[in-house]
Amino acid sequence: MSRLTHLATCTPPCNTRTWLSAPHPYLPLLATACADKSVRVYSLRDFRLESTISGGHKRSIRSCAWKSSAGKGESVLGTGSFDASAGIWRRWEGGGGGSGGKGGGEGEVDFTTGLAGGGGGDGVDGDDGEDEWRFAVILDGHDSEIKSLAFAPSAPLLATCSRDKSVWIWEELEDDNFETVAVLQEHEGDVKCVAWHPTEEVLASGSYDDNVRLWREDVDDWACCALLAGHEGTVWLGQFEDGNGIYALGSQEALGREQRAYVDLRLKAGARLMSCSDDMTIRVWRRVPREKPELPAGQVRTASIWRNRDFEEEWVEEARLPQVHERPVYCVSWSRKTGRVASTGSDGKIVVYEERWRSAVDVKNGDGDGDVSMAGDNAGPDMEDITAKKLHGSDGHKGGVTEWTVVAEIDNAHDVFEVNHVIWAPRADKGKRFEGEEVLVSTGDDGEVKIWTFDT
Amino acid sequence: MEADKDNANPTIINPSDLPSRRRSAPTAKRAGLFDALTPAYPSLVDASSSPEPSPSEASLSSDEETEDIDEQEVYDLISTISDPEHPLSLGSLGVVKLEDIAILPPTSPRSRISTVTVLVTPTTSACSLTTVIGLGVKVRLVNALPPRFRIDVRIKPGTSGTAGEVNKQLGDKERVAAAMENKSLLNVVNNMLATCE
Repeated sequence: MSRLTHLATCTPPCNTRTWLSAPHPYLPLLATACADKSVRVYSLRDFRLESTISGGHKRSIRSCAWKSSAGKGESVLGTGSFDASAGIWRRWEGGGGGSGGKGGGEGEVDFTTGLAGGGGGDGVDGDDGEDEWRFAVILDGHDSEIKSLAFAPSAPLLATCSRDKSVWIWEELEDDNFETVAVLQEHEGDVKCVAWHPTEEVLASGSYDDNVRLWREDVDDWACCALLAGHEGTVWLGQFEDGNGIYALGSQEALGREQRAYVDLRLKAGARLMSCSDDMTIRVWRRVPREKPELPAGQVRTASIWRNRDFEEEWVEEARLPQVHERPVYCVSWSRKTGRVASTGSDGKIVVYEERWRSAVDVKNGDGDGDVSMAGDNAGPDMEDITAKKLHGSDGHKGGVTEWTVVAEIDNAHDVFEVNHVIWAPRADKGKRFEGEEVLVSTGDDGEVKIWTFDT
Repeated sequence: MEADKDNANPTIINPSDLPSRRRSAPTAKRAGLFDALTPAYPSLVDASSSPEPSPSEASLSSDEETEDIDEQEVYDLISTISDPEHPLSLGSLGVVKLEDIAILPPTSPRSRISTVTVLVTPTTSACSLTTVIGLGVKVRLVNALPPRFRIDVRIKPGTSGTAGEVNKQLGDKERVAAAMENKSLLNVVNNMLATCE
């Protein structure tokens, strides 16, 4: 059994509830959304407060997100607030943080002509720690509290969602101009979270109406392309795995036929989605890749009919993680590096899970779930059918080719308080043990942001 | 099964007939999450000094009170809340009753979390007022009880057609937190709680 060990608590802590922490895409920084209407930026090197962003919102900041595609040398942070607006903040990172980043003297004058807010000096002289956060844009439009926001990894898009049941998609144009590209209103309750697919322009949203929806552009308009129903309570958060998640299962050699078939299926399906809910379950969803029928030679594919059919997607519930939580699960984090999943919630526990191949013994015996038992290695055409059944999984998902197990669990992570958020982040302090090591960052109602190391 | 939901003339219980304790154990005043001002959680001791999470003031004093918090204590906290419609307390109106309060101890030896469940019997069929009453009870308990208690406020089954919707709202911590930043709602709740000690 692996262990989570408390490494540090970011200091000074906030004296109001903290909702969420977001690791910077490449600097050793953490942005924490606080109920006192500010964002605290902590350093992951020494866990001290590095700067504070405040003054732009009139109510609690519920969510914040970094733009991972921001140009090197500039940090862009989005904040989502209960005041129904989203803020975009920019800071020039001089030469301080990144390795060898150039100072601001390259004619980037437009960034110094700041809009209101953010204080006086926009120091662009490259001295780290002196650069101020600039409040660049405020995005209005939602009717009620914004619950979450996310920048797309590979397109200039921002998604926001709100208690007003809608998801907005904004496109970033030049000069801090954000244009509303879509207002998506198919959820029947608050939309609690939004998350972008790692490689495709697909957005997932989780809602108070117990559903997850996927959205995509259909010719010119964004629309809902899939409805993932099944949860029996509010869906608090959804997250996609890394695009190359299949490799977390380890080496591709020495795989059985069934396992290879599963790998192919996963590669065709793309990144899976994980969602957590009030119903205390954590579910993994996988796309069912569409089998495009072969057209007879010489025939051109006609436009409209196929397009509509191609737009909608089918997703199935592939697995459920072992149920450990005893109260609503508020957050899951799927590590982009290791494929490990961490979860947390109202019961104050942090749990870590790993996925692995189900052992050959179980597979051969068919797990007693009613499927045809596999007789040794007979590779007849029947194999496809059996595989398909097993890959879809039965109700209890006993037929799955992979399984999820709990590898670490900690109670009272934030004393008796609820833990709102947990996320994997690259380790950057002096105690870092190996390249690519990750720590777990938890954020709680006690106003604290805690850092945990994971020891196998 | 459907009780008469129109309750323009509620049954009023004489305060001296309400369940109470002989001795009154003072409940430690504690800054709650929903104070109009920034609640003051005691700043924790410098984290770098110990690898283990340092016990906060809150949990230390709550250990002392482990003996004291029972259903009667919870009842005493909420029975004096004023109904938003009638100039009477929730206890007198029978909106909250001692027998509808349950305290569940921690589910395992490692957990320190207890759960308080309060079933509320609304005086009215109006969904919005029922939600406000439930919200008042929830806010009162979140502020007054130590943070080791999880508070579930629900509408008593069979007393309202919209119980499901109200229960879901009251159980959503994000919604409750946002509601408490809404000035007009905050005023209504503060008025309800003004009659509490």
